[in-house]
Amino acid sequence: MAKLQTMDTQSRMLLHFEVEQFLYQEAKILDERRFDEWLSLLTEDIHYWMPIRRTTTLAQVEDEFTKIGAMALFDDDINFLRMRVAKMASGNAWSEDPPSRTRHFVSNIQIVDIEEDGDIVVETNIHLYRTRLESVEDSWIGRRKDWLRRDGDNLKLARRHIFLEQTTILSQNLSNFF
Amino acid sequence: MLDSRPEVIARDSWVDVNKGTVDRRIFSDLAIYQQELKRIFARGWNFICHETQIAEPGRFFQSYIGEDQVIAVRDRSNTVQVLLNSCPHRGNTVCRSDQGKTRSFFCSYHGWNFDLDGKLVGVPGYEDYYREKLKKEDLGLAKAARVQSYKGFVFASLDPQAPDLEDYLGWVGMVGLNLIAEIGDMEVIDGIQKNRIQCNWKLAVDNLYDWYHPKVSHGSAVRAGMINEQGLQYMNQMVMLGEYGHGIGGAAITEENLAKLSDTLEKGQEPDQIDKAKVWRTTEKAANAMGPLGIRCGGHPNIFPNLWVSAAGPPQLCLRIPRGPFETELWWFTFAKKDQTPEERRATVMIANHIFGPSGLLEQDDGENWSHSTRGSVGAVTGERPIDFSMGLGQDKMTHDSESGQSCIETVVNEHAQLWLYRSWEEWMKAEDWPALIKNHSLPPTGKV
Ligand code: FES
Ligand SMILES: [Fe+2]
Repeated sequence: MAKLQTMDTQSRMLLHFEVEQFLYQEAKILDERRFDEWLSLLTEDIHYWMPIRRTTTLAQVEDEFTKIGAMALFDDDINFLRMRVAKMASGNAWSEDPPSRTRHFVSNIQIVDIEEDGDIVVETNIHLYRTRLESVEDSWIGRRKDWLRRDGDNLKLARRHIFLEQTTILSQNLSNFF
Repeated sequence: MLDSRPEVIARDSWVDVNKGTVDRRIFSDLAIYQQELKRIFARGWNFICHETQIAEPGRFFQSYIGEDQVIAVRDRSNTVQVLLNSCPHRGNTVCRSDQGKTRSFFCSYHGWNFDLDGKLVGVPGYEDYYREKLKKEDLGLAKAARVQSYKGFVFASLDPQAPDLEDYLGWVGMVGLNLIAEIGDMEVIDGIQKNRIQCNWKLAVDNLYDWYHPKVSHGSAVRAGMINEQGLQYMNQMVMLGEYGHGIGGAAITEENLAKLSDTLEKGQEPDQIDKAKVWRTTEKAANAMGPLGIRCGGHPNIFPNLWVSAAGPPQLCLRIPRGPFETELWWFTFAKKDQTPEERRATVMIANHIFGPSGLLEQDDGENWSHSTRGSVGAVTGERPIDFSMGLGQDKMTHDSESGQSCIETVVNEHAQLWLYRSWEEWMKAEDWPALIKNHSLPPTGKV
C-alpha cells in the first residue's frame, strides 16, 4: 500500500488512466471476439478464477465463496484459457456458434494496491450482458479483482478473480469470458 | 409456455416400447409435470446430500425433493434429519441459507423456533396470546417420511410406504453408488456447482446414458485438446437395467483389463495413468460390493429419478432438479478420498472444474440441445410427433449371471437405458401408490432386448 500512498496525485491519475484504458480495450476485444488478441494480454502465469458463491447467514458470511483449491466456476491457468479459445475457433463449439452477442461494462475502477513486485491491484464492477439466438438473455453482474503487471510499454493481466452476485447460475452455461 | 391438455394426461400410453418412441407432450404438459412431483419425486427415494457435508451436530444443507424444499441437518443425537423447510404457522421457510451451522431453525416471520430434530421449542406469546392453548407437539417441522443412508449417501422419501432404500436401489443403484463409495473413504469437496437450463428434467436425465451425442455435441472439446476422441465414444458399451427405472449406460471395462491390472499390481509394478484409477476394483471388497458384472461398469448410472453418478472421470454426482416443465437445475457434487495428497486433490479439482459444471468444456455445449428439444414439444403439431429411442432395439441380448443375479447387455452405442427410463417413468406415473407400483412395475428384460 505504501507505494500507492506515496505517489503524488498526478502520477496516480496517470496510472488510473492507463489502467482504465487497458480494461476498456480488453472489454472491447472480448466483445469483438478477438480472442487470440485477448490471450496476448495475459501473462503466462495467469490465474483466472471464479469461486462458487452460496447464500449464508451474515454470521457465516466468510463461507460465502469457495476458497482457492476447492470447487469453482472458473479455475484456469493459461493453458486452459488457450483451450477455451481453441474450442471456440474449432468450428463445432455449439455453445458459441451461432455466436453469443456480448457487451462488457466495466465501472467503479479503483486501484487498491501496488504490491511489492509491482503488480497493480485493481477492483472493478463488471456487467456482462449476453443474448443468444432469438430469446436467450443473460446478465451477470459482479466484482472483479485484477492484478496488472507492467510488460515493457504495456500492461498485462496476471490474475483475475471474479465474484458474481448470483449464487445458482441462472443460465445454461458460462461460455464467455468475464 | 405453460400448457396443459386433459387428453394428454389421459392417454393410454406415452411410451411405445415396441417402436421405441416417446410422446413429446410429456416434456411440456403442466398436468403431467404436477403428477410427476407427486408420483415420482415425493414417492421415490431422492438423494439429499452426503454425510460429510453435515458432519457434526448443527451442520445443515438445503436441498429439494422435486419442488419440496428440505433441510438435511445433523441433530444433537447425531442423527441425520430431513425436514420440510416450511413453518407450520404460515408456511414461511425457516432456513434461508444454502448450508451452514446452526443451533436451531428460527422463523423470521413470527419467531417460532425449531430444534434440530424439527421439534417446536419456542413460540413467542405462548402464554399471553395463545393462552397456553397451542398443540406444540403437533406443530414441529414435518419430517421426510423416510430417511436412510447408503454408505454415506443420504436419501429421503416423502412417502411412508416406500420400501427400504437398499431394496429400492437394487443391484443397479448400489453399483452406481459403489462406483464412488468403494474408491475409499470419501468426502464432498467444498462447492456445489449449480446452474439452470431451460429444459425438461427428463431430457437432462436421458442424456446421461447418451453415448451417441459426445462425438458431435462435444467435438470442440476434442479439437481443443481437453479430451481425446476415444474418451468420447467407447465401442464397448455395457448396459444394466434395474427395477424402478434405475439404469447404467456407458463404457465397459473388460475382464482382461482387470486381470492384467491385478497382475501388474501383484508384480509390484506401477499401473499406467488410466489403470491407476481402476486399482480399487481389484480388491475383494469392491468385487463383493459391485458384483461380477458391476465391477466392470465404467460408465454412467442413474438412480431413478434424477441422480447421475458420473464416475468415468473424477467421482461426481449430478442432480437434475425440476423447476417446472421447462426448467431444470443441475447440482454437481464432487468427491475425493479424504486422504488424498494435496497434489492429488489439485488434480481432481482441476479435471472436475473443467469437464462439467456451467463453464465445463464439455457441459457448456449440452444445455442448448436440451432446451431446444424441450421447446420442440410445445407446438400444436410438432408436439404431437413422437421422438425416437430405437437404437439397438431388438438387436441385443441380456446376459445373466445366475449366482449374483446381475444382468447386462454388452453391445455398441445404443438407447436401451433411455427407453427403459421412459418405460419405467410411465409405470411410476400410472401407479396410484407404492403397493400398485410394486405390483405392476416391469422387471428388467431377459433374453433378446
Ligand atoms: S410463519 Fe413461522 S412463525 Fe409465523
Ligand atoms: Fe454431453
